Amino acid sequence: MSNKPILVIGGGPAGLEATRGIADLGYNAILVDKSDVLGGNPISANYAALTPDMRSAEEAMAEMVDAITDNPLVDIRMNTTVVGSEGDAPNLKVTLQNESGEEVVDAGSVIVSTGFQHFDPGKETQMYGYYEHDDVITIVDAEKMLKDDNFVVPSSGKKPEQICFIQCVGSRDRQIGNQWCSKVCCGIASKQAIEIRDILPETRVFIFYIDMRMYGFWEDEIYWKAQEEKNVNYIRGIVTEITKRGDKLLVKGEDTTMGRPMEIPMDMVVLSVGMEPSEGTTQMADTFKLPLESHGFIGTTGGALNTVQTKVPGVFVAGAAAGPADLEDSISMGGAAVMKACAFLRKSELQPA
Amino acid sequence: MSIYTDAKYMDVPYEEKLKLFKEVKDDMRYDHNLYGCYECGICVAACPSARFYDFSPRVFAQIMAREDVDTFYELLNDNVWDCSQCYSCTRCPRQNNPGGIILMMRDAAVRAGLQSAKDALRAYSRIIYKVMSTGTQVAPDMLQPDFFPDWGTDVKAVAENLDVWRRAIPPETLHTTELAWDVSEKTRLELYMIWKLTGNLELIEGIDEGIYMILEEVMEELLDDNGYDIDDFENILED
Repeated sequence: MSNKPILVIGGGPAGLEATRGIADLGYNAILVDKSDVLGGNPISANYAALTPDMRSAEEAMAEMVDAITDNPLVDIRMNTTVVGSEGDAPNLKVTLQNESGEEVVDAGSVIVSTGFQHFDPGKETQMYGYYEHDDVITIVDAEKMLKDDNFVVPSSGKKPEQICFIQCVGSRDRQIGNQWCSKVCCGIASKQAIEIRDILPETRVFIFYIDMRMYGFWEDEIYWKAQEEKNVNYIRGIVTEITKRGDKLLVKGEDTTMGRPMEIPMDMVVLSVGMEPSEGTTQMADTFKLPLESHGFIGTTGGALNTVQTKVPGVFVAGAAAGPADLEDSISMGGAAVMKACAFLRKSELQPA
Repeated sequence: MSIYTDAKYMDVPYEEKLKLFKEVKDDMRYDHNLYGCYECGICVAACPSARFYDFSPRVFAQIMAREDVDTFYELLNDNVWDCSQCYSCTRCPRQNNPGGIILMMRDAAVRAGLQSAKDALRAYSRIIYKVMSTGTQVAPDMLQPDFFPDWGTDVKAVAENLDVWRRAIPPETLHTTELAWDVSEKTRLELYMIWKLTGNLELIEGIDEGIYMILEEVMEELLDDNGYDIDDFENILED
């Protein structure tokens, strides 16, 4: 069996699952993460409860990290980035960089799991004024407030009486150039709406949407629950602008199923920002010469039948680096990438080039 | 405050709307009539009333699911009587029953004596009187074009020679114009007491006081003649 390790880049859910899988199969793994803490966005962006099962993000990520900690087959490199790669798999020479300098490591195969970044609402083309109004926040900000058990109106510190979510901010938008659906925001907004109604039962919660995309079991477990048990107001129609009126935010839109114009005062507005390829994802595509698909994520081959193979032999992708992905997608892709990477190494041993 | 800039009935105090909304929500049938609404429109596509009126069973489900009190009040006044109560709308994938929601709302409108309920039910006062005083339902002579203009032009032709049309029907028992069939006095009186003691007469009083007064006068005289004392029954119930 080859002693050459498989390099996993990015220690979010997909990378953690990939690393665990590599070690479970008896191969060596090097896990590189640019930050000082494993867990990816769920940890660095302070997620509270995961969608859909409402499990604590911290607890779930700790379980994943524990599964690879103190394993002799796993070499974890924190505060480390990948800055270069020479040769072809299975004989890659990859340059890692950290505070103390650069180091070249051998890698038999690579799994890129560098994930996504949250859309910056400063780039939206409506007039939501994220950087202008204190009480316009994102679902990421809301996660942190829920995690800190402090869901209040930012400007006043009071309990909100009326709040709304605006869906598809930075997604499904030709003006912005992001033509994809980010898959998870409908579920996350609905999950947060449930949490908010749980802790603030007097607060009226609206969700303005274009389509609610609550696929699979998210349908009744989150969407129906939010609507039927928590009386969350789902209104089809997207807010066109947010203006300040007194100490409230006035949202303007059309209720499209009623065909009626709306103007509703809100204490807080939560923007459901979507996913974009992370900086790390774009950089790794460049470093390993991985062609991007048309939306700017890392391209795969084989369409629906191969979700993890990039166009470069021996280099695989897992999780949201390949496009919007929920936790289940990311974990499944992590496992699939391990299978392909280990198979790639094994084949190269049996049939040396 | 309504979420809509073109809202109606903004002069009606919110508390008054909320009271009626809560009455409907507290109805024991509510949880079986409404879950949540996709606003998909399957109920509207199935609804015969929606083909002829500016009426949508969907709107009832969606507005109630959203707990939109202001728009609920608009529906209660403007649309609640446009439903034909056929329940075609129950093919809803969420298992909602918009017709059932409307029925609960109608009950609330009648209990509150809303003008819209009085207007909508005016034509039915004669039917109520007929049912409660004779024990039979719609009698042939009630099919007058003045009362049911929406039943079409044939009603006028039939009404003009009603007796002839009725006698053209083979069974002799149907050769009547004032009654659908004969009901015994005992049955009539028992039905009247049930309606009175269950509060139905009070509802009628709120909607059409004239019909209520005539009914009470006619029926309670009949009760007296037959030796019934309605107070006895009320006492029995209170015990």
